[in-house]
Amino acid sequence: MNTHAEERTSLDRNRLHMHWRHVRLWRRFFAQAVVRETQYRAHFLTTLLVGLVQLGLGIVPTLLLFGFTAEVHGWSRAEVIALVGVYQIVTGLIATFVAPNLNRMTTYLTEGELDSVLLRPVSSQFYLTLRWINVAELTNVASGLVVLVIGLVQSDLRPGFGQVVQGVVLVGCGLVLLTAVWSAMSFLAFWLQSVNPIGVVFLSMVEAGRYPLAFFPGVVRTFLTFAFPVAFATTFPVRALAGDLSWGPVALGLGLAVVAMTLVRLVWRRGLLTYSSASS
Amino acid sequence: MTAAEIAQQSVYRGAWIIFMLANICVPIISLLIWRTALANGAQLPVDERYITTYFVLLGFVTMATSSWMAAFLANDIRLGKLSSWMVRPASLLVKFVANNLSEKFLKVFALVPMIGIVWWIFRDSMNLPADAGRWALFAISIVLGAVLVFTIDILIAALAFWMDDVGALVQARVIIASVLSGAVVPLALMPSWSRGFVDHQPFRYTVSFPVEIVAGQLTGRDLLAGLGIQLGYVVVLGALARLVWAAGIRAYSAVGA
Repeated sequence: MNTHAEERTSLDRNRLHMHWRHVRLWRRFFAQAVVRETQYRAHFLTTLLVGLVQLGLGIVPTLLLFGFTAEVHGWSRAEVIALVGVYQIVTGLIATFVAPNLNRMTTYLTEGELDSVLLRPVSSQFYLTLRWINVAELTNVASGLVVLVIGLVQSDLRPGFGQVVQGVVLVGCGLVLLTAVWSAMSFLAFWLQSVNPIGVVFLSMVEAGRYPLAFFPGVVRTFLTFAFPVAFATTFPVRALAGDLSWGPVALGLGLAVVAMTLVRLVWRRGLLTYSSASS
Repeated sequence: MTAAEIAQQSVYRGAWIIFMLANICVPIISLLIWRTALANGAQLPVDERYITTYFVLLGFVTMATSSWMAAFLANDIRLGKLSSWMVRPASLLVKFVANNLSEKFLKVFALVPMIGIVWWIFRDSMNLPADAGRWALFAISIVLGAVLVFTIDILIAALAFWMDDVGALVQARVIIASVLSGAVVPLALMPSWSRGFVDHQPFRYTVSFPVEIVAGQLTGRDLLAGLGIQLGYVVVLGALARLVWAAGIRAYSAVGA
């Protein structure tokens, strides 16, 4: 007689194979999202237009500010425009890959959808954080790149190869850190039931990334570097491109990213223990 | 109806507190930025006290005059939910008024303590008019502003009688209004070439004007003129909304009927 407890071969030969399987799966998610998007062309166009208007109006405070002064704490107008570009890239990436998932967190938990996720042979945390992709938001990444280039050209910055590497690594760290913070906030749903408003709070706090860290008072700077690490996503990358950043902050960013991921993993495990399906 | 809505919404107490936290985040960020600019020697047309008072009160006024019903109302029209309201002795709009008032009533409890804390932190550089008259005008102007925003929302949502998807329009309204109402940057800081337009467009009277009454250097004449214009917008847009709504009801052919 066969029982469910019989020996089976594991899906993965080793850890590397497991990671590779997840990467392949993610590529499928992406391909599916692109196909899906072609069904909703109006949505694509709306996202593009709204994104452009938002970008344009988002620069208004910066432009007004520099209408009254030539530089603030060593930042010129062009450099801040480059920073707005990086901000747009980062928020665009978050809106594409992370937001569609974490905004569903409440439904996953309160309607018991998590059950079917837990049964799948994939890391449930991976699935919950990266399953859905909003391809249309990538247009904001593109417009952000354009703004970044405009800012760099205006400020006469010619970043070398090493500086670009620094910048890209820092943006990566910033993305991981912000995703970790948002995930941790969302996983509170295990205890709070409804976390939809947390996404709103997160997005309004990210707004601080529109401005260089130096524009804030000391206490707030520390907060924006270590507690809500938006500094790694915008200020540090631009300073790296400007060439006045050593490898120290880059190492710090990588270190913090690893710590943050470990912590989020712990919160997730803890939360999962308290989960007792919605329907049963 | 308002009481019923309050009871219903107070289930989500925790959510309101978090929402209000989001509401004051952006004004605080802006406040810190502009104070830094001032401390750094920027030549602004207004002083530090104005900026501080403006941004501290901003969170409260944007909440008090806000309306979020356009998308919901448009949905009710599109999906035919309006039908069941047409046979009731009250307009569907009454439901939205009740929802608006009740949510604001609860938000006040969450928001006022937060504003109080920010107020206390910056107490040394706040501009507070001593006479009660200004505060009375402030209150009146907030009520008028709230009616104005609500009317604009009805106008946009009523387009759903003729269009399938007004989502983009609703979003566009929110974005444009955030700049033109002074919710992002005080209108006093707008460049001088835009003054004539900025000072007289309706969105100024939804957020900026009430705040200016307390924070600003508006003279008695400015106050009267401003309130006059605000009232004018309320009456004109209100009449327009009535016309459009009535025309919409006539054009309405319910889904599923």
